This record gives sequence, C-alpha cells and structure tokens, in this order.
Amino acid sequence: MSKNLVELIRRHHEQDAPTALEVLKEAIDAHGTITDDDRREASRRSGLPEATVYGVSTFYDDLLQPRGERHVRVCTGTACFAATGDAHVDALRDGFGVALGERREDGVVSLAETVCLGFCHSAPAVRDGDVIDAGPGVVTRVLEDRARAADEPAPASLLEEPVLTLPGDWSGLRATLASGTTPEQLLEAVKEADVRGRGGAGFPAGQKWGFARSAQGERKFIVANGDEGDPGSYIDKGLMERSPALLLEGMALAGYAVGADHGFVLCRSEYPLSKPALEQAAAQARAEGLLGADVLGSGFSFDVSIVEGAGSYVVGEETALLACLQGLRGTVSARPPFPAQSGVHGMPTVVNNVETLCNIPFIAREGAEAYRALSPGATPGSKLVCFNDRFVHPGTYEVPFGMTVRELCEDVAGGLIEGRAIKALQIGGPLGGILPASQLDTVFDFAQLAVVGCMVGHGGIVAFDDTTNMRDVARHLLHFGASESCGKCFPCRIGMRRGYEAFAADAPVDRANLEALLETLELGSLCAHGGGMPAPIRSLIAHFPDELGLA
Amino acid sequence: MPDDRFESNATTTCGYCGVGCRLETHARDGRIVSISPALDGPANLGHTCLKGRFAHQFTRNRERLTTPLIRGEDGELHPATWDEALERIATELTRVKTQYGPDAIAGLASSRATNEDCFVMARLIRAAIGTNNLDNCSRVCHSPTSFAMRKAFGLSGATGSFADVDHADAAIIIGANPTAGHPVAGARIKQAAIRGMRLVTIDPRRIELADYGVLHLSPRPGTNAAVVLGLAHVIARDGLVDQDFVDARTDGFDALLDLIADYTPQDVERISGVPAADLEEAARIYGEAEAGCLIWGLGVTEHKYGSEVVQLLCNLAMMTGNIGRPGAALLPLRGQNNVQGSSDMGALPDTHSDYRPVDHEPTARAFEAAWGVPLSRAKGLTIPQMFDAAIGGELRAMYIFGEDPAQTDPNTTHVVHALESLDFLVCQDIFETETTKYAHVVLPAASFLEKTGTFTNAERRIQLVRPAIDPPGEARTDFAILSAVSAALGHEMPYASPEDVMAEIAALTPNFAGVTYERLGRRGLQWPVTADGIDAPILYADTFTTANGLGHFAALPYQPPGSEASDEFPLILVTGRRLEHYNAGTMTRRTANLELLPSDVLELHPDDAERLWVTDGDLVSVRSAFGRIELHAEVTRKIEPGHVFTAFHFPEVRTNLLIGSSADVNTSCPEYKVMAVDVRPVSEVPARVPALVAGD
Amino acid sequence: MSTTPTTFTATIDGSTGEFAPGTTILEAARVLQATIPTLCFDERQDPFGACRVCLVGVQGAPGPLPACTTPLRDGMVVDTREPTARRVAGAVVELVLSELPEPPAEHTELAAVAREFDVTSSRWPGKQHEPRPEPRHPYLTLRHELCISCGRCVRACDEVQGTFALTAIGRGFEANIVAGLDEGFKASACVSCGACADTCPTGAITELSLLLLDGPEPAHRPEPATR
Repeated sequence: MSKNLVELIRRHHEQDAPTALEVLKEAIDAHGTITDDDRREASRRSGLPEATVYGVSTFYDDLLQPRGERHVRVCTGTACFAATGDAHVDALRDGFGVALGERREDGVVSLAETVCLGFCHSAPAVRDGDVIDAGPGVVTRVLEDRARAADEPAPASLLEEPVLTLPGDWSGLRATLASGTTPEQLLEAVKEADVRGRGGAGFPAGQKWGFARSAQGERKFIVANGDEGDPGSYIDKGLMERSPALLLEGMALAGYAVGADHGFVLCRSEYPLSKPALEQAAAQARAEGLLGADVLGSGFSFDVSIVEGAGSYVVGEETALLACLQGLRGTVSARPPFPAQSGVHGMPTVVNNVETLCNIPFIAREGAEAYRALSPGATPGSKLVCFNDRFVHPGTYEVPFGMTVRELCEDVAGGLIEGRAIKALQIGGPLGGILPASQLDTVFDFAQLAVVGCMVGHGGIVAFDDTTNMRDVARHLLHFGASESCGKCFPCRIGMRRGYEAFAADAPVDRANLEALLETLELGSLCAHGGGMPAPIRSLIAHFPDELGLA
Repeated sequence: MPDDRFESNATTTCGYCGVGCRLETHARDGRIVSISPALDGPANLGHTCLKGRFAHQFTRNRERLTTPLIRGEDGELHPATWDEALERIATELTRVKTQYGPDAIAGLASSRATNEDCFVMARLIRAAIGTNNLDNCSRVCHSPTSFAMRKAFGLSGATGSFADVDHADAAIIIGANPTAGHPVAGARIKQAAIRGMRLVTIDPRRIELADYGVLHLSPRPGTNAAVVLGLAHVIARDGLVDQDFVDARTDGFDALLDLIADYTPQDVERISGVPAADLEEAARIYGEAEAGCLIWGLGVTEHKYGSEVVQLLCNLAMMTGNIGRPGAALLPLRGQNNVQGSSDMGALPDTHSDYRPVDHEPTARAFEAAWGVPLSRAKGLTIPQMFDAAIGGELRAMYIFGEDPAQTDPNTTHVVHALESLDFLVCQDIFETETTKYAHVVLPAASFLEKTGTFTNAERRIQLVRPAIDPPGEARTDFAILSAVSAALGHEMPYASPEDVMAEIAALTPNFAGVTYERLGRRGLQWPVTADGIDAPILYADTFTTANGLGHFAALPYQPPGSEASDEFPLILVTGRRLEHYNAGTMTRRTANLELLPSDVLELHPDDAERLWVTDGDLVSVRSAFGRIELHAEVTRKIEPGHVFTAFHFPEVRTNLLIGSSADVNTSCPEYKVMAVDVRPVSEVPARVPALVAGD
Repeated sequence: MSTTPTTFTATIDGSTGEFAPGTTILEAARVLQATIPTLCFDERQDPFGACRVCLVGVQGAPGPLPACTTPLRDGMVVDTREPTARRVAGAVVELVLSELPEPPAEHTELAAVAREFDVTSSRWPGKQHEPRPEPRHPYLTLRHELCISCGRCVRACDEVQGTFALTAIGRGFEANIVAGLDEGFKASACVSCGACADTCPTGAITELSLLLLDGPEPAHRPEPATR
C-alpha cells in the first residue's frame, strides 16, 4: 500500500473527505455506470489523484458491472454450484438474454455474477435489486419479476451458555468499566483465554492486540473484518445482522485494551442488510452512552464507522481490507509492516474477524477461565459453523471444538437431503482442503484438520453429493481463484489463470505440470489466496484422481 | 548491465538547472539516444526531470552553429574560418583597447558554462584584456543571495545540502516553485512533505507544493520583507528564539528586536495581505521545529529589496538556531546549472575566485604571479552598468559567452539599444539568439553534453562534466575557444585541458584547495574543500566565516517595491518558470518539450477575468510602462486576484519587454517579480498602440 | 518482550555480516555480494513483494521467503541457491514469459532474469496480453502487452516523482497499468520525468528514441517566432 497515498488519505479524512471508493459507489448507485466525470469528482472530493481513482474504479466488481433498471446478481458461490452445477446461471442468462456482467441493450435489465450472497442454506440465490431470493423456483420467480426475500434460519447453539448466538447486551463492557479493570488486565485476559482468530488463519488475538498496544502512534484503530468472502459461509453475516451490538461491544473492548478510540467495520456489499443493522446498533449504543466520547462516564472514548466494500474476495485479507477501507484498490501488501504497526492512516491497527471480536464480551464478562472451559481439551471457546442446502438442517450452529466432522454433519445438520450420500466436504472456504467421505471421523479442530490437508477456516461446511463431478469442482474453484486474484503477486496473478485454463480446456491435465504449478502457487504467493488454493486441488488429486482427467 | 544498443556511455552532470543531477548518457552514431539518471547522484538519487532526461535533441538540431560567422559589409552574418574569426576578434578588441583603453571592453561569462570556462573567461578579460568589466547572469538572478549570505554568514552558498530536506521536520519555501523550476529538488521536497515535514509555502501563486504543505501564504508581490519581519516578530514574541545560539554565535540581535516590534501580525496583514493568524502559524511551525529548512528562489531575490529579504531570512535561521545542523539548512535554489560556480570562479566585476575583492592586494598579487601580467584593482561594471555605458559611449566592445541578454534581461528595449551602440560584439553560443542579431562575430560553441569540466550545484557541490558526444561541425568547446582568443590577443594560457585549469583554480582558490578531478569522482565535493580533500556538506556547525566568526543579524525595514499597482496599471505581473522549458528556451524549444508546452499563457484569477471580460483562452494584451506583449489567457485559481503570471521562456512573447530598470538596491538584480501591468482583451486595444514600444 | 540487539548477524551463502535491525535479506545480500535476482524491486522504491523472483531458502523457515520484504533475524542463515526457492522462482519466471506475446528484448531486466534462471519457454502456455492503442507522447511509449504488473512505474511516479499519474488497473491476469484516466501520458498529470521508463523491467514503458534507434527521428523545430 502506498505510504504516500495513505498519508494523503489521512489528511483528507481529517477534513471529512469521503474515500474515493465511497464516491464511486455513490455514482454507480445513482446512475448505473461510472464515467470519467464521476472519477474526476471522486478525485476532487477524496483528494486522491485521478489515476489512483481510475485504478480503484477498475478493481471492484460493483463498480465494473453496468446496471440496468433491474440489476440482477446471480450467486456463483460454491454452495450454489453444489446445488445446481451452475445451471441457474445459464437459465438466467438465457432467460434474460444478456451475458454476465452486461446490461441488456434496452437498459431494462443487467446481469452480474456475485460470490457469495450468504444464502447457502437455500441455494441457489439471486439478488434482484436489494431483494435476495433463494432456493427452488428462484430462477423462475426472478425471470417473472416476482422475487421475494428468502427466509434465513435463526442460528442455534449447542452450548449450555452461548457465547456467539446472543444479540449482545454490552454487559461485558459495562462490567469492565464498572469493575475498574485496566486495559492491561483485559489484554491479559484475552491472552489467557487464548482466543484464536476465527477468520481462517487462527492467529492469537491477544498477541495481535499486544503488538498494537505497544506500537507507537498518534492514534490507534480497531477494524472488524466483516468481509466474509468465503463462498459457503454466512456466519459473520448472521453476527452483523442479528447480533450487531455484540460485535460493536467486542470492538469497544478491543479499543479499551489496545488504546484505540475508533473502530471500523468493513462489511460486504453482497450483504445489503449488514451496514444498516450495524449503523442502527451503533446509533442506539451512542444514545445509551456506550459509544462516543467518555463511554459511561469512564473517560474512555470509542466510536465506530461502518464501511461497505464493493465486491472483492481478496479484500478479506487484512492488508487488502485496509486498502479497501481507505478507498484504495483492494490489493494485498507484503508484511511487514503489519497492521499492528501501520494500518488505517498509517496508525497501529488491530484487524480482527467479526466472529473473533464477538468472543470478547464473554471473556470480559465471564473471564478467561470460563471461556477456556467451553471446549475442554480442544481449542478454547466455541465456533460457529454453517451448512449448505444439501443438508437436511442447513443453518448456523454454535458448537464446541472437538466434535468429529461426522457428528457435525449427521447429528447437527441431519445428513443430506433426499437420502443422498456425502461425496466430499469443503470446510472453511474455497482455500480449505476437501475432505472425502472416508475421513468424516476427523475431529473438527485446527490441528486435526490440518493433518488431512484441511482447515477450520471460517467454519463454512459445503457438502458435495454423489451427483457432483469433481473435475467441475476443480474448474469452479480455479475460476473463482483466478477471477478474484488481486493481481499483485505474480504466482497468483498468472498461475491461477493457468490452472483454470488447464481445467477449462477439453483435454487431460498434465499431472506433473499441475503439481509444479500448485507448488509455485503455494510457496510463491504473497497471501493465502494463491497460497491456499492448492489445498483443495491437492485433495481432489489425492481422493478423486480418476475424475479429474489427469494425464 | 551491458547494453549493446549503445556505442558509448558517459557519466556527467546535467546542465539544465542548479540541482545538479548526475546523468548517464548513452550515444550511438555520434548522437545521444538516451539519458538516464545516475543512481548514485547525491542530488538526484537516481531521478531526473524531463529536461535532463529527454531534452537532448537540441544537440543535433539543424540550427546549431557549426562554423564561426562574421558580419559582412551587407550586414548579414556569413560563415567564416576560425582563423578569420579569431583574427577579426583580435584586431577589433586590440583596436578598441588601444583607442579607448581596456575598460571600454566588457565580458559576460555564462552561468551555464563550466567552472573552468568561467575561470578562463575571467583570465581572458582580466589578463588578456586588462579590465574587471566582467559579470555573469547571476547578476539577474541570485546576486542578492550571494551578497546577503556573505554579509550574514561569510560564504556565498547554501549552508547545507538537498539531503537536509530529508532530515527537516519543517520547511518554509518562499518565492520559489521547485516542482517547475527545480523539478528533482521539488520532487524530493514533495516526498518529504508527504512523509510529514511541515511545509509552509509563501508565494503570490498557489504553487503545486502548497497542496502538500500545511500552510500557504500569498503575500502581495514585493512585500516579502514585511512577511519575514512578521515571522521574526512572532518567533520573538512567542518565545521561540534559541537564545543560547543567539548569544554564543551571533551579533546584532538587539537591533533586530527593536525593529521587529513594529511588525505585528496585524501590521504585516495590512502590508502584505497575509492573514495575521496564518503568519503566526507559519512562524510557530518554523520556530518550533527541531530542524527547519529555509528554501527560496528568484521570487525573493528579483526584487528591489531582494538582497535585504535574503538577509532577513538569514535572521530567521539564526534566531531559531536553524543552521549548521542536519535538517537545518538555508537552501537558495540556484536557477542555472552553474550560477554558483560562475560566481565562485570570480566571473564578477568586483571579485576574484572565492569572492575575494579585486583590490585585495594579496589575492591580486597571487593572480598576477600566476598569470604573469599586472591586474586592475578597480571594480568593473555590472551587467546593467555595461548596458548603460554602451549607450553612453564609454563601453565600445563586448564579449558575450553563453548568454542572451536581449532575451533574458529586463527592459529589452534598453538592452537592444545598448547592443546596437557597440562598435564590436562577439557572441559565443550554440545557436543564434536574439543577442547574436547584433553580433559582429559569432563563435560556435559546445553544449554541456559535448565538453569536459565541472559545474557547482546549488548545494556547493562541484561535479564533473564529461562529454557524451562531440560538438557538431567546427564547433569547439568554450575552453578551446577562449584559450584561442586569449592567445590571439597575445596572452597564451598554459592549460592543455580543463583539468589543468582546475589545478590552477585549486592552487589560487582556498575553498577549492583540495579539488582534483580524481577526488570529485562520481559524487563530487561540496566546497570548501581542504587541501587533503575533505569537503563540507554542512557549513557553520561551529563558527561563521565572518571576520569575527559571528553571524550578523540585519535590522532592515520593509520598503515598498519599485512598481506598484496604479489606476493605469492595476494588476501586478509576476514572472516565473514552467516545468517543460529552461530559461530563454534556446535548448528546450529545440526539443519535443515544445510539443508538451507549445506556448505560454497569462494566468489570471477568475475574478479579474470576469471584470476584464476575458475568458479562458482569449488573446490578451499585457501592457506595462515599458512595453506591451500579447498572449493567451488561462483563467485559474492558482493565482490570487490582482496578480497575473507568465513565464519567460518564449522569445516570441518577450515578457521582459514589460520589465523596467528597477533593481535590487545592493546588487542591481532586476525586479523581474513585480511589475504593474494593464491586461485587456486584444480586441479592445486601439490599433494605434504598437506591438513593440517606440524605438524598436 | 526481549530487547532487540543493536546489530544482527546474518549469513548468506556462507558469508557472514553484521546488520542493523530492519535490514532486509536482499539488502544484506547486496552487501555480502550474494546475487538475488529481482523483477519488482528498485532500490529507489520501498520493497513491494509482488514478483516472488527473489525467493530464497532460510534455515528453519517452513518455505522459501522473499528476500526483498523479509527482515533479517539475528543469526539467520540464508541460502540463495536453495533448490525449492530456485525452483519456485524459476517457475514464476516461466509464468511471466507465458503472459507476453513476444520474448523480452535482450537488454531488459526481464531478459536478464530469464537468463539467470535459464528459462526460455513455459510449461504453462495460455492467454497472453494483447496490444491496445495508446495516445502519443513525444518521449514515452507504453506497450500494454509487455506489462507484467510489477508496479515499478506506478511506484516511481508515486515514491520518486510524487506525481501519481500512473495506476494499476483491473485485477488478476487482466491487471495492467495506465496513465491518468486511461488517457495517455500527455493528457494525464504526467510531468514526463521518465522515471517510469527508467525503471520498467520489460520495456513496456520505454523511450521513443530507443524504439526508433534504427528508424528516422521526427523533426522537432520551434515554431517560427511571431513578431
């Protein structure tokens, strides 16, 4: 990330200038396309150079897809793929008579691809304007212009005392401030609780906070990473839209521990309800003196801003997220510097996943001991998992660590619909390995999943049933990988494309060349996007070699 | 990386401005095909601007002078041989000298030429001809800087280096537009400002760097002194004086304190138009800095009281102790590539090298011993005095080398009249110019890309110049030409090469004592250079170079400029530079830079434009008491209401027709930066007003 | 937290030296005269970490590390010839050659890096970048099809010149660079300093005069002075 541009952004932010991305989003919302005049206006208002604004305007899906009177976004996430094999995409394209990413000549309708809408529990999903419809019959309803908002199942907890499936009542922050708990003590509690990051990498949150706390900076910031881009996952969506106060409380506690006075939530534009829900919760908290200057008369000040992304998977990576938050192209930056040293506006910044932050109020209220006791003998705390619509009881569940995958799939989610057999699972998003049915007895925890080439990731569990062609899965994943590559590091920028081309061609894939390509991606890439994509492909090679058409 | 696209490569120093970028030149078939920046250039750190990198096509322009020219009976210039030209020069100069004495001859050395060229020119004028009538174009740009810094600190030059910008936590730029005039220094300042150096810009025009600074002040042209006195007032008032430094290292502070009592922010606002609060903030930014830089250009010097404002700037540095430490430097941005060096070398009417007066007996004797001839102890004429003397008949012949005063000097009409009055004029240049129109002999010279020598940049860094290509046709290097002319006049100089000249400069010039080409190497040396080769990136760390070793404060009041807006001339014209061009455009206008900026414009504030019925792009007439020009208007908020701006790069615009003879009171540096003018759409101007003033 | 020593000792290819904390492997390697090829690195700019051609082996590390962005640790032992690192870096060079419609010109940095890895062709042929028209500039030319998105030009314009006239565009394989609002150098904020051409490792941005080395040069004469 350009230090110079970040500094220019900081200076303009002080003057209340909007970010370039915010202005560009306004423009396309207002008139369905982005013109050079819009870019000049964004440059003028944000204070960023015109070229920089141009670069931003060519990065995000939302800014690239022209919009008709009806803008229809079809989900091509993994769950929707598992449900239809992409038949729903073809049906909409043919039905509307317009290609993906285009606006029909009459201007009435435009069709765009989106990954993913977070309705994996009733796939496929289609967003018509701001209405998200999903499940059987959705294509017909959308083509007939009678889309209706699909239901979303309420999350459930397997725990006696839920940690994450609560609306949030700010009791953790109240307890902390009322008891005179110092920031250092809170930080120690979080370290002792050994909260592992829930976004996928599993980095200890307390350690991250410690770095930011000890870093030098005029100001410090807390950033909640709500860019839950993993197709097949809708956990953070649920948290942001059903428990926004829990998240904001977690952020305020993080701010207290770290010495930050402001937080940002970066949520996804694919989840149109998240930002309003968070803003409403923030407004209410402000009204109750829980956010803003001098929280509850404690002398501690903390407030939040809610920022919405614009369609990019890689923005879930923390440095790309910071770029997006500041209105720049959402590309990954090499670390160091880590965000804890230099993040928002070049200041020390904690970037935590939404679910991670939602764990904090419990720790503040109940203590580290109680938190560790939730999953005896396994990773402390609890985990939200979610299931796709192939399961009998799809939805989000709060579970302890240490159950087997089979228990999760069969006892919690009820096995597959129509009595179908699980052929394979993809756990933890598109960069997670693929678990064949033969390994369902693996324990759901960081270390045990790693042994079989898989990961907890963000906790999304997508089942492929016996109708799924695994070469199509490989092509689907690599298409996603290539189209979401931010384009910064060379292995991912070119290698993902080459991987996709190999599986898209109607020809056998040279196994030696494929393995060399996967090694290059895995060891050469700058971030987990390129580095992680080989995992599921390797799983497929290991477990389904005959279906892949290797040579 | 070996690159077989090129036949020869050379590392040299850019000739386009005072930054002194080190360049790698690449040539094939005797032509420069590419120039890239030297990664280890101390001033440019692997960067250069469009002039240094691209504007080399002029070297092979078909209009290059490739043979000597002699004006014939028909009044036209005709090609001649070197022998004919040299003989003509020797005959004419000898005749004038015999008839009117040596002081009827004057020479202009070039701030674009090398140190060695200027030193040889000084010897030609002083030894071969026998007069001190020698000057260079720093007269019309930075002579006030030189004068003032010598008075305040002792030496004529920046107190630090461009690198100090990287270590400063605050800086004031006044009367300079570095991103256009000194682009590589401008880029470095911009980077520092974005990194967090608190930058204050002071200029009637909102310069580009103002967008990256924390504060911009737009004083009315000609009121710099009031602004700088006001800054001193606030620094003293708010307790930001470094009293230890003032007590230990300076004298004259009390007189200044008395004077600045009268320059309250409110007083200064009334004089300059700068809001009092802004002035106070600017003073605090500089006064509170751990290390602060002062950077200025011709917007300070080219005024009636330019040299005094430089002394007032020196006051600011001394009262805050911002001198002699890393990050605390005074950096005058020298315009031409060797403004510093040409004066260092003694191409001035009153000083030998190292600014030692011509009547300083030991110095004069040392030169006499080295040159084997008696030397005049009488001060010679400055450039404006030369033109006056030419018109008055006392000056009969001039030798102008690498200068185009008919284009670049103020009051063009007067200059042309002077040139026409001469019996004999020699011009030595790479192209025909406005001035060669009046020459009797024109000698074809080499450009900076075709010669050997040294330039001294704005941070006193002496750097090697090496030829990338040969001069075209029969053109010769200035060193070769001046040596030949001197020999023709009967004064044989003993140098076989510019390196021999440097050996003599070192021997005769204490501040150059340890300078050798070998030691200069790739990174150059910043004078003073001791005999064992130690140079001086930072001056005055422990003591000043004045007689008593103390820095001298100057208590000089604000006085109004020589030209002020009136009913007849209600707008103030400020002149300056454009990024794409260099000086009179002799070189850059013969490159594709012309495609990037084909013509000049008059910048005009929208309020003035509306009042004058001028719209963007209109042809306007600009009239001063001295002349009139026409050009197209650009309506822009870069300039404050009441002011207009244009550059001086385009001969056809002839901006200097507008400029009068008002000049710095100490150094005669012209007041280019303040001229009251009247602007109106061309259609409104009665046809009887001639395009050039009467007498042209 | 443990206190940081004032200097770090590091060994690269058998040579050991002392370095200030914060020194990167690449900087240390240059001091110790160990050769590490790079494509996106320019010493005038902050390290970028995009090309991954500078991967090296580090004792005890789980995999190859990029030398340009990895700070030394005390006692670090680096092997610039470590086979896995070299294999992956070489494969990246192969990928880069596969995206270009023509081999890099001999004098370019990319050609030198390809020679260093002995790479002449690619195991992964596929889509290549296509030429597209670019408005004329008197000195600078931009051939989009030769751009490898190393970002050096964009950073030169940002970190060296400070004009911000260039930007990366698009994402993934379609990434490229443009001036201004994709309007060419001349119409953009470009100040024609040429820092972009100076740093470009493939000749995607180059000087017209170098392209025309064997062709006629257009005449540039001043307009006749109007009097």
